[in-house]
Amino acid sequence: MDSNEHEPVEGAPPGPRKAPPARPGIAGLSAPYRVLAALALGAVAVAACTHLALVFLHVAPSNTVSKRNAALIDGWIYPEFEQNWKLFAPNPLQQNIAVEVRAQVRTGGGELVTSGWRDLSAEDGAAIRHNPLPSHTEQNELRRAWDFFTGSHDDNDKPTGERGALSEEYLRRIALERLAPVYRDGRILRVQLRSATRSVPAPGWSDEKTDTQTYYRELPWWTV
Amino acid sequence: MVDRVRRALAKVTGQALGPYQSAVVRIGFAGTWLFFLLCEFPDRHRLYGPDGPWSWRLAERLVASNDAFTVLLWSGSAFWFELVYAVALLASALLVLGWRTRATSVVFMVGVLSLQNRSVFMGDGGDNVIHLMAVYLVLTRCAQVWSLDARRARRRGSASAGAAGPVLWGVLGAVLAYGAVTGRFGAGWLAAFAALWAGPALWWAADRHERSGAGRGEHERSGEADGEPAARRAGEGRAFLDVLANLLHNAGMLVIMAEVCLIYATAGWYKIQGSRWQDGTALYYPLRLDYFAPWPELSDVLAGSGVLVMLLSYGTVAVQVAFPFTLFNRRVKNVLLALMMLEHAGIAVLLGLPFFSMAMIAADAVFLPTAFLVWAGATVARTRLPGRLSPGPRTGPGPGPSPGPRTPRPRTPAGSEPVERDGGVGAGGAGS
Repeated sequence: MDSNEHEPVEGAPPGPRKAPPARPGIAGLSAPYRVLAALALGAVAVAACTHLALVFLHVAPSNTVSKRNAALIDGWIYPEFEQNWKLFAPNPLQQNIAVEVRAQVRTGGGELVTSGWRDLSAEDGAAIRHNPLPSHTEQNELRRAWDFFTGSHDDNDKPTGERGALSEEYLRRIALERLAPVYRDGRILRVQLRSATRSVPAPGWSDEKTDTQTYYRELPWWTV
Repeated sequence: MVDRVRRALAKVTGQALGPYQSAVVRIGFAGTWLFFLLCEFPDRHRLYGPDGPWSWRLAERLVASNDAFTVLLWSGSAFWFELVYAVALLASALLVLGWRTRATSVVFMVGVLSLQNRSVFMGDGGDNVIHLMAVYLVLTRCAQVWSLDARRARRRGSASAGAAGPVLWGVLGAVLAYGAVTGRFGAGWLAAFAALWAGPALWWAADRHERSGAGRGEHERSGEADGEPAARRAGEGRAFLDVLANLLHNAGMLVIMAEVCLIYATAGWYKIQGSRWQDGTALYYPLRLDYFAPWPELSDVLAGSGVLVMLLSYGTVAVQVAFPFTLFNRRVKNVLLALMMLEHAGIAVLLGLPFFSMAMIAADAVFLPTAFLVWAGATVARTRLPGRLSPGPRTGPGPGPSPGPRTPRPRTPAGSEPVERDGGVGAGGAGS
């Protein structure tokens, strides 16, 4: 843009010092400003290309360049430019993983009872059914909390890093949040969670056989 | 050759390209987030509140390790949470309307990042796209059309007319100062916010400087300056800032478009490697997941046909892999764009992912052709908003000519006050 761009469109008679017909953008500037603008152009172009290159290396499979520059890439991408677009890829999830919970409760009468297993994921599923606008609390909360837990623990349920403790605390809070309304007059002493994994049966139109048995992964009892 | 370079330079420094595309992206993402915040309003405490399952303490421990940006951790009080949620809602609504967009887009970004980073395990792919685009939108001049800013520019000669701009600038400055003094921003964010806040002040100063004539040694004329439209004497410093804003806008738009291509390329190329996408049964499985089956009857119908599932599975991969390459051919690109938007509309219903789908459609929209957007805008304006947000010819008297797909590029009655840098640019002729 240049000074001529800012002329009022209508009316005002041209002043005596009317600027010469201007050229748009950088060409309309005087030399010092033109140098500044050129520098800015270079900086912006380099910044945009660098950003895109780093994002590309972040979403691409691990490769020679991304391995060599892992620290640089992660330093720029995390936390605000993190992204994962492996949507249903390379293969879509082919199992229903339900999270179930049971509790040990001291009832109002002083009795110690252990409840039966309660399928929290089935309750989420029921809330989602026939709902055009499912809430993140139904669709993501428990599902992703369980992913978070399995991702931060080994097969023996031992935490693999500092996030392990966070995920345990998170799951316990979710369980308690959902159990609390049921045991209003008692006191929940301990809770236990397990996952029930069932493979999606093979489609009727295919000749594949799928094992559709339910497999459980039981976590230890947690004191509240 | 030299001529072509010169023309390209004039284009990227002289215009904020894709005014309609940037506007539709702004409205799309702000609208999606607004809709999401409204729908989740009853559940907001469980999602982001200090006593939700992902408690304030848990968030504090995680953020201490990853340094994500969130103002929600400034205080664990319920009042602060409600205030941030309300401001996030308000900023989304104002960004949809394009009110004081330079400032609102920053507040919108702060709202999105604060809520999402507060409870990062509540989000999904839709939140992820909104997160990225909220950052990129700050760089763009996305209120050139279809906005209250543009209307103000038409009616009052300047998008920054009125007292609201300086007031907003002052309030945001106070918040920034508070955050800086109490050490709540990391160095990177502090620098970014300081630049965003100083920008309008610089703009205003450049305008003042040139209005008073000092820039051109016209002291003797300064007496009559008040009587003349301020914009007339806007000169070099101001023009330079305009070039800078155009550069940032165009880079922002490039990044947005490249980001959309990366999303589709990643989604497509990884699918090619999966055995289920190869044997054409992939689509069947999500339809059978309890967390993604709001309409089991509908899912059953689709899952019942092996041929249909295969065609849709193959089609999805083909479209996603192909899309970035079709950008070299307008017609093919538009066909694929329509297909992808349809597919996302289908996903919204079938898999119960309405906000994800809305966000992806908003992202796709950056590639819509200008002629279509102008037509769509005119149609909406005719049926819904007679004479209001429409930049069409029936709006009240104003200095700006009405832009249209065929009209020549209107001269810009530029703003001359702080906060608003998106002068009332009627419209550029550009667009993908």
